Amino acid sequence: MKLRYLVKKELIEVMRQKELLFLMFVSPVIQIVILGYVVSTDIRHVPVGLVNLSRNQVAERVSERVRRSPLFAVRFESRRSADYLDLLKQGRAKAIIVFRDPLDRKRSAATYPEVQVLMDGIDSNTAMVAAGYFNGIIKGYILDDLARRGRGLPVAGRPLFRFNPQLRSINYMGPGIVGFLLTIITMFLTSASLVREKEQQTMDTLLMSRLNSLEIYLGKALPAVLIGLIDMVIGLLVVILWFGIPFRGSLFFLFLASLVYLAAILSYALLISVLSATTQQSMFFAWFSLILFLLMSGFFTPVANIPQPLRLLADINPLRYLIQIIREIFLKGNGIAHFWKDLLALAGIAASLVSVSLLNFKRFISR
Amino acid sequence: MGRIKAIIVKEFLHILRDPRSLTMVFITPLVMIFILGYSVSYDLDRVDAAVIDHSQGRLSRQLVQSIAANGVFVLHGRGASLPLDRAEEMLRAGALRAIVVIPPGFDRRLAAGAAAEVGLVIDGSDVNVANLVQQYSERILLEFNAGLTAARGATGLPLRLDTKMYFNPEARSQFFFIPGLIAVIMLMISALLTSLSISRERESGSLALLFISPLRSGEIIVGKTVPYIIVALLDGAVILLFARFWFGIPLRGSLLVLLAFALLYIVAGLSLGILISTAAPTQRTAMLAALLITMLPSFLLSGFIFPLDSLSPVLRAVSYAIPATYFLRIIRGVVLKGAALRHFWFEGAMLLVLCAGLLAAATRKFGRQRKAAQ
Amino acid sequence: MSRAAPAIAVRDLRKNFGGFQAVRGISFDVAPGEIVGFLGPNGAGKTTTIKMITGLLAITSGSVEVNGLDNRRELPRVKRMLGYMSQKFSLYPLLTALENIEFFGGISGLAPHDLKAAMARMQEAVPAPVLRQKIQDVPPGIRQKVALFVCLLPDPGIILLDEPTSGVDPEARRGFWNEIYGLKTRGKTLLVSTHNLDEAEYCDRILIIHNGEIVSAGAPDDLLRREGKASIEELFEDAIRSHGQN
Repeated sequence: MKLRYLVKKELIEVMRQKELLFLMFVSPVIQIVILGYVVSTDIRHVPVGLVNLSRNQVAERVSERVRRSPLFAVRFESRRSADYLDLLKQGRAKAIIVFRDPLDRKRSAATYPEVQVLMDGIDSNTAMVAAGYFNGIIKGYILDDLARRGRGLPVAGRPLFRFNPQLRSINYMGPGIVGFLLTIITMFLTSASLVREKEQQTMDTLLMSRLNSLEIYLGKALPAVLIGLIDMVIGLLVVILWFGIPFRGSLFFLFLASLVYLAAILSYALLISVLSATTQQSMFFAWFSLILFLLMSGFFTPVANIPQPLRLLADINPLRYLIQIIREIFLKGNGIAHFWKDLLALAGIAASLVSVSLLNFKRFISR
Repeated sequence: MGRIKAIIVKEFLHILRDPRSLTMVFITPLVMIFILGYSVSYDLDRVDAAVIDHSQGRLSRQLVQSIAANGVFVLHGRGASLPLDRAEEMLRAGALRAIVVIPPGFDRRLAAGAAAEVGLVIDGSDVNVANLVQQYSERILLEFNAGLTAARGATGLPLRLDTKMYFNPEARSQFFFIPGLIAVIMLMISALLTSLSISRERESGSLALLFISPLRSGEIIVGKTVPYIIVALLDGAVILLFARFWFGIPLRGSLLVLLAFALLYIVAGLSLGILISTAAPTQRTAMLAALLITMLPSFLLSGFIFPLDSLSPVLRAVSYAIPATYFLRIIRGVVLKGAALRHFWFEGAMLLVLCAGLLAAATRKFGRQRKAAQ
Repeated sequence: MSRAAPAIAVRDLRKNFGGFQAVRGISFDVAPGEIVGFLGPNGAGKTTTIKMITGLLAITSGSVEVNGLDNRRELPRVKRMLGYMSQKFSLYPLLTALENIEFFGGISGLAPHDLKAAMARMQEAVPAPVLRQKIQDVPPGIRQKVALFVCLLPDPGIILLDEPTSGVDPEARRGFWNEIYGLKTRGKTLLVSTHNLDEAEYCDRILIIHNGEIVSAGAPDDLLRREGKASIEELFEDAIRSHGQN
């Protein structure tokens, strides 16, 4: 029953800090909208240069297709050879497409020019995707050309994309953003509230009171869980209503997973605050771990790409499981039968974080 | 001069005497670059797939063979042994990324000189991966087609396409991410450290002492920032060496050019830190502000992960106001492409403008706050 | 010595922070029903000692007994006997006075009707509009009143007040000491630290602490007579000077 007073006090404090209110309930909306646009942009407008050294009509026709494609942005065109390497170094274009007439005239009487694509390979992902786009344009041209002559390629692939038929990035990234925001907000809210108690010396009074450490712990954790869940609802609404991401799975399991995740991340935040000597340290470690959590969660790049020894680190990253579960529920409409292992792993991590931080909290209290 | 020196020395002692802050400054960036250098990667070198071959002829087996030989696809079922609904279920569970379905009449149609189709069922959730998987399979089909047409006596593919990757011939995404991480870490360290250092002085009351001292605001700022400029530069150098010798990232350009731009970039970051801390009453809010102002936009709107060319015009405009945008281009250009000073007149000018603007704003804000405190 | 068993018994208490010795082996008793003044300049070790008595700070060596109970072995029971008011009053600045009272009463396990009665009592002493302001916006005198009130809510027998009168105007200080006398007449034991020497006269006994050591102890009048000094100030200066060398 004493817990009621702790939770109430914590909520009053939050409600009376305008910047905190803004941070918790307004900024998530703005952030999700902006993040949604940034994170889900499919690669388009790849800047390219066209260099046409061929006398062949085909070069001009393919160039026209490149110009018309929204996937490419033609930054310069030339009919003379140039220092391609220097052009790439300047960064004006990510790829230069060069058409040449082949040297060996025997080869099919030069019906087609030779095409060379010179790419800035640093952003290898964009480069590969752009190469794929260009292949598609060339292939389209050849197929049209063959069709005109009444021929076709013997074997054609017919791709069919499951779960996300239009290949919209936002469908994949959007739900992840919610998990990411949940992490930032609750982590900072929790450590900020503990820091405040230390600064005001009210922590001393709490410790001197008849509350036991479990009550104080829950008094800190419950309000943060509550706020986390409200943020979750806000985030889901923005993602579903603004971005029109289809929701196919069970809300119950989504909230269950979030609840387990919140327990884990809150305990982690409490642990950091209790173990570090100064505000500076606790904030630094919170920040440091946030970056690791985020970049190793599969949010940006697939977890499967992390090499084996470091994969262990990813395996204890709670955010990784939350994002996995959220995505499965959103995109595939999967049920518990599919992600029970992830949920179990998440619960295991949460349980160990809760107990470690509770133990440390006790020590901190009886110090 | 002597007065500035006194502050610089004091600030340095603060950093060096506290082993935890030393760890924060030098060990964490290395740990981060080590872990993230391996972990943040787009390189897809394994696609779990199943092939369902209903045709079971010579040509269909040949196609299965070439998919298996590709090296990227790891096949989990061959022949007709795996029923389609079972494979679809595996796709849903994430055990498979793609299913290749060869229809019953495949061999017969090809033998008759007709065209045949191959079905590709791809998990589209991760758009990036889905695109790559489709490209890989297209390439296999293209080669298979080329083999077929050659066998039929026609010429090979009519158009010769030759793709060359400069600067990163093996297309390793580490080349992209590691120099980017250096830029992001340097900004974080410089903005975070100064904002924390100033809020610490404020909370312990020593800022008030500095305020009433005869020092000019500019002098205080120089004294507070010079140590952190040196620390951030050292950080950058340590990470760069690590990237060179551990990850084998080539250092192709002039370090002097890089140093010059790094100085501008760090000063911009430090000024940002001062701005943040003059606005925030306690360390907690200072940290939150530093986090939101430096981390999110520098991660997302600078081209660190997502290419700027694809952004919507509004967000693209925002990216022009972020120092990391320019420094990222510079560090990638110098380190990986061996680009020279003349390639960066625009980036350099913008960085200079941003740096000067932030520094002026920080000095003014600091001076005003000092006046208010007296 | 046929006095009653001490309410607080401190024996050879020490505290080191790294290489720094904040408290260097002090011993004293506080008898039940007594007001003991803990006098010393800032940094003498007053707060450190009080925090060790409450158990908020780990003891380096020595012992503290409260009503005969060792505060390390019986911390939960000891805590229930102690009321503690820290230097900064430790109220929640964003909550109003009434909300603070409701909160601290609530976590001390007061029954709802007791809590209501307590809040009514506070409203008699202080005008209601002030009680509905955030604590950070009310004058220090009121804050001090509320802090003491909150500290007394669980009705502890022994009360430790750390610098309760710092930053408070003389008027409010006198009122405060009156309240402390009221508590004494209700049988409470009090240990009050202060750096205002003129407050020594309010105490039954004083302990003068300097550099982590007790340099003088006794009833104020006895001490003055024994040392032949005209005022507490003089006594204090002299005690500190003769011990300041080490």
